[in-house]
Amino acid sequence: MSLYTYLLISAIIFVIGAYGIITQRSGIKILMCIELMLNSANLNLVAFSSFNGNATGQVFAIFSIAIAAAEAAIGFAILVALFRVRDTINLDNINILRW
Amino acid sequence: MSYSLLAPEIILTILGLVIILIGLLTKDESKNMIGYLSAAGLIASLVYVLGNINGMGTFFYNALVIDPLSQIFKLIFLVVSLLVVIASISYFKDNRNQDEYYALILLSTVGMMVVASANDLVTLFVGFELASMSTYVLAGFEKRNPASLEAALKYFIIGSLSSALMLFGMSLVYGITGSTNIPAIIAYFKTNPLFATSSLDIIAMIFLIAGFGFKMALVPFHMWAPDTYEGSPTVVSSLLAAGSKKMGFVAAFRVLVLALVAIRMDVQMAFAILAVITMTYGNIVAISQRSIKRMLAYSSIAQAGYIALAFVVTTQMSIAGGVLLALGHALMKSGAFIAVAVVGYMVLSDNRNAKNTDDLDNFAGLGKRAPITAFSLFVFFLALAGIPPSAGFIGKFVLFYSITIEAVAQASNWLLFIVIIAILNSALSIYYYARVIRYMYVLPPVGEKIKEPAPYVIAILLAVIGTIGVGIYPEPFIRMAMNAASVVLGV
Repeated sequence: MSLYTYLLISAIIFVIGAYGIITQRSGIKILMCIELMLNSANLNLVAFSSFNGNATGQVFAIFSIAIAAAEAAIGFAILVALFRVRDTINLDNINILRW
Repeated sequence: MSYSLLAPEIILTILGLVIILIGLLTKDESKNMIGYLSAAGLIASLVYVLGNINGMGTFFYNALVIDPLSQIFKLIFLVVSLLVVIASISYFKDNRNQDEYYALILLSTVGMMVVASANDLVTLFVGFELASMSTYVLAGFEKRNPASLEAALKYFIIGSLSSALMLFGMSLVYGITGSTNIPAIIAYFKTNPLFATSSLDIIAMIFLIAGFGFKMALVPFHMWAPDTYEGSPTVVSSLLAAGSKKMGFVAAFRVLVLALVAIRMDVQMAFAILAVITMTYGNIVAISQRSIKRMLAYSSIAQAGYIALAFVVTTQMSIAGGVLLALGHALMKSGAFIAVAVVGYMVLSDNRNAKNTDDLDNFAGLGKRAPITAFSLFVFFLALAGIPPSAGFIGKFVLFYSITIEAVAQASNWLLFIVIIAILNSALSIYYYARVIRYMYVLPPVGEKIKEPAPYVIAILLAVIGTIGVGIYPEPFIRMAMNAASVVLGV
């Protein structure tokens, strides 16, 4: 497979994630879409690393996987705290703050 | 290789971890001392950064760099966190989760400092995430308060979206240049000009501008800022508006500016439009706000627009102006938010169940009820509007002057036009600041005079001294900013 195949796949995954963030209303689904976007970037990094023949990209990908895990943990913690107070994680109902 | 130049980061990281341990081992009643401990750690780091203000060096195989740019931004971050921590001693008094709060503040400060001295895309990303993740939690720290949680959720979603955009952009930059080291990337773009070899360059640039733009709250990417600043605990809003926003600017100074120098005219116009829309939108929407925290949020969007003017001409002086305005904005905005926190304390001591403590009506007669706070808020508002002698004036003066010089040198009318719009915007902002000042000094008070808690007073007065001090004696700061700008431009 050529480099462009990988880039195309990662671009498609990225766009699916971005589309999901715009259209979905459930907090959990939005978190999943954010993970998709981060992982598409990881795919890019690993593909470039393999085709450029240097390992920096794979090291970067490992860092970003660890960070994505921490980010998901914090996201779920915020959602749980919100669910305790408001009994909902539907973003349409979360609208106290507006101008 | 000596790591002594990294001592500020090391001190704060160790202190942050130790504070979590102390929190486990102490009783809830004795947790109030943790605030003083964090303040001491921040002062130690601040003294260390001031002592090595001209320090130079690279660490960890070029992953971190200490230079004038990193030192002046570290100064900004440490001063803001110090003010926030001092004010928090009152704000979070007798809260049983204080240990986590202070540990998160210290770790987010470390994250910002790592961004300031990042010399590699990996370090830049890790620093960004450390600071962002700590502040997501801080924004939702009042976990019984729905507004605070909503602020945290909105901040989290937009923040991680921006991280994903930024990471995608970084992956493309790595793919194009084959390196994550920022000097190596810049060297690559000097020999292979942007857009000459592949169209991937422009996609990478757009993703990076969007990723940094979210952190800077420039206009198409600003939606999270007013909601988050309004809902978060007021001292945390202070950290977000004054500290974590500058992180986007220092990253943009490090990564974007050199790329911009390489392409010159094409993107100049794009940044000019972005900056003008940002400042105009921020100022116009701020006029109609009744919540002062929200008004300050929009005014901070407008200030981001002024700072973004530094990217338009990218001369040494304009970047120095951007750095100076960032320094001034950090002092004024953190002080203003802390003063709003005092008003919140005042309202809550009248009525324990009060909602919307930052409503404009609560500022009526503040000059009689809380004279120190009212006077300081008066100073911050005039400084934010750019009235001399203040840090806000110096920053705006250097920035607008540099653009005027460039406009004359290039004989370009549209640059001059942008300066005029920026000055008109400053004039417009006086309207909504003056409205609050009228409430504070002209309208009659609705309650008794209160005793302002000492930590708040110390934090506010330090910010006032900083704001006016930079205005009266700007030479050393201008020199520091000029040194930082010469690093940015690599001359």
